[in-house]
Amino acid sequence: MQAIEARAVRKTYGPTTALAGVDLAIAPGEAVAIMGASGSGKTTLLHVLAGIVTPDAGAVHLATPAGVVDVARLSDGERTRLRRERFGFVFQEGMLVPELTAVENVALALMLVGSSRASAIQEAAMWLGSLGLAGMEDRRIGELSGGQAQRVAIARAQVTGASIVFADEPTGALDSVTSGEVMTALLGATVGRGRTLVLVTHDEQVAARCTRVVRMRDGLLVDAGASQAGPARPAAGMLPPPAPGTAVGAPSHGWAAQPQAAAYAQPVAHPQSAAYSQSAAYSPTSAHAPAPVAPTQQQWQGRA
Amino acid sequence: MSAVRLAPMLLRPSTQGAAVLALPVVAFGVTSWLLGIVVGGARAFFTWTIPDAPLYQLLAVVALALLAVPLVTLGGSAARLSARRRDDRLAALRLLGATSGTVLALAVAEATMLTLVGAVLGVLGAAATSPLIGLIPFAGAPLGTSALLPLTWSIALVVAVTLLAASSALLSMRRVMVTPLGVARREQPARVHWLVVVLAVAAVAVVAGAFSSFSSIGAALGVLAMVVVLGIGFGIAMLVLNLLGPWILGVQARIQVRRATTPARLIAARTVLESPKAAWRQVGGVALVTFVGVIAGVGSALMGDGAGGADAILAGDIRTGLVITIVGSFLTVACTVGLQQAAAILDGRALSRALHHAGMDVATMDAARRWAVLSPLLLVVAVSAIAASALVVPLLGMALLFEPIAIVITAGVVVAGVAIVAAGLLTTRPLLRRVATA
Repeated sequence: MQAIEARAVRKTYGPTTALAGVDLAIAPGEAVAIMGASGSGKTTLLHVLAGIVTPDAGAVHLATPAGVVDVARLSDGERTRLRRERFGFVFQEGMLVPELTAVENVALALMLVGSSRASAIQEAAMWLGSLGLAGMEDRRIGELSGGQAQRVAIARAQVTGASIVFADEPTGALDSVTSGEVMTALLGATVGRGRTLVLVTHDEQVAARCTRVVRMRDGLLVDAGASQAGPARPAAGMLPPPAPGTAVGAPSHGWAAQPQAAAYAQPVAHPQSAAYSQSAAYSPTSAHAPAPVAPTQQQWQGRA
Repeated sequence: MSAVRLAPMLLRPSTQGAAVLALPVVAFGVTSWLLGIVVGGARAFFTWTIPDAPLYQLLAVVALALLAVPLVTLGGSAARLSARRRDDRLAALRLLGATSGTVLALAVAEATMLTLVGAVLGVLGAAATSPLIGLIPFAGAPLGTSALLPLTWSIALVVAVTLLAASSALLSMRRVMVTPLGVARREQPARVHWLVVVLAVAAVAVVAGAFSSFSSIGAALGVLAMVVVLGIGFGIAMLVLNLLGPWILGVQARIQVRRATTPARLIAARTVLESPKAAWRQVGGVALVTFVGVIAGVGSALMGDGAGGADAILAGDIRTGLVITIVGSFLTVACTVGLQQAAAILDGRALSRALHHAGMDVATMDAARRWAVLSPLLLVVAVSAIAASALVVPLLGMALLFEPIAIVITAGVVVAGVAIVAAGLLTTRPLLRRVATA
């Protein structure tokens, strides 16, 4: 049985087709990275799966203890409740309440689903401790680094025991070292505990750490990705090698949280990857040949 | 030159969303409208030639002084708000290589234009609503057309508001050029020594004493002396209030943070604690008016008691003026709250949207910001009313015995005032819903 499954999902915004009939099944315990250029529909797909946006056509089947639910058919209020109780969310910029302390931000998610304040704070503090933030419970968000804030956000996303965590560019605002650390925390908190992770990213290094990479273009899934056997491995050294294209030009740095490895692998502005993203942004409809198996970066560089 | 060419582009609503430009216009429009009505109404008494005119003029000055605090706050938040909206865009312009001179010129030009539009609309609004003010009877006859602000006064008001906004834009730009925006800063509430509290209470007692016996001061020293005494009294009261107000709100918020059991109450209390000064700026304007209102309400009740003729009319007029001043203050605070909330909602749109994505109901967010305003407001009103009642407790007892209706009216007006602020909060709920569910 799938944890969540999109069937022939379509969504248009005015004249723009964001999703042109997408099928995607995600099994429990998978870590799925959705990749694609800006405007390819990846964020819309995430929003449709998470019940933030309802599709114009198609269905989103979610496995719940009470049976399979079509998220697309639920009312606005029901979807909001579903997101609160069954899903967790990690955003690019933390999106924590700046007035609250770190532990209160995490406890907030529990209080919203009806926990008492005392037990919520206790549970939240345990989560922060397990993510290496012990002693920072009473810090305000402004007093945390980007990576620390993202780990607070991860705790918030999982403290309610959400079966699926949706992450939209969770490392988009971080440097490569912190990005690796945050991914380790995110994978450990989700697939490491048998939960499901669905994330949208531009970063091949981040995607390579997931069990499956799906690629989108022009509102369609151009590569549904082959699922790696077993759950994503948050531990270093056990992951499949990075996608072939990632080595082009850019210094190949380990995705792992290894300070030395990453030290000489500071993100270097890569002219070709910049060209890739630009050409993709400017000509999302350009006629690339459909990716045969696993798309390499050369293909994505297209007209660069 | 580039400023001239860039201005129309920057002012085009489509580039920013209409709210960014509409908000400052509305802010200065409302400020000018209330200012026009208040100044027009007060000025009406200075056209009088009846024997009691000086007394009415004095009372008008008192009312003006009471209304000045919330009005200045409203104007200040209008200026701050339009400056903040502007900075986001001008910062981008600086990155593109505009010189600071160009940016400054643009900022001042935009502030001036938007304020001018708002102020003109506001003064027109004041003229349109002045017939309603004219219906209010004083000294046995309606104010009539004398409540209408003459053209020259109206123009002067527009010019004054516009100049103030332009200069505040100049000043704020300089500050903003160094400070990054949106950085939430925790203000340490000022520590207050117990001696200050004692002195403060004493000062308030002196001021209250001066107010309750000011007719005898007037008889002895003349109207001018009364104005001076009142002015000093207000000054002391304002100083004390601005010292104690944020401190009391901070204490209340700390208690509420500890006791909060719901997400909305916790966020609300934390929001107040984040900056008790900001919370005080929003609602503090009603402190003095509530305080004076209770004392004057009791006084007018006793004045009117049993007396016939001129005294009864005067007592009635004081009550009318009191109702207008209290309602006006709360209305001004409601406008301030509405504007600041609208700005806060627009500034926090990304967070509201994310929280809604994560499953927080808009109702919860709405409750959080509602409590963050109403809880300090209720405390300020309660403390002011109780302090004033305590000062005049024997008189209050007599008034309740002989003229309960006057006390009921005073209390009712204050309650209505709180309701006006709550209604002001409601007007921004659709904006929050739109932003969060966008």
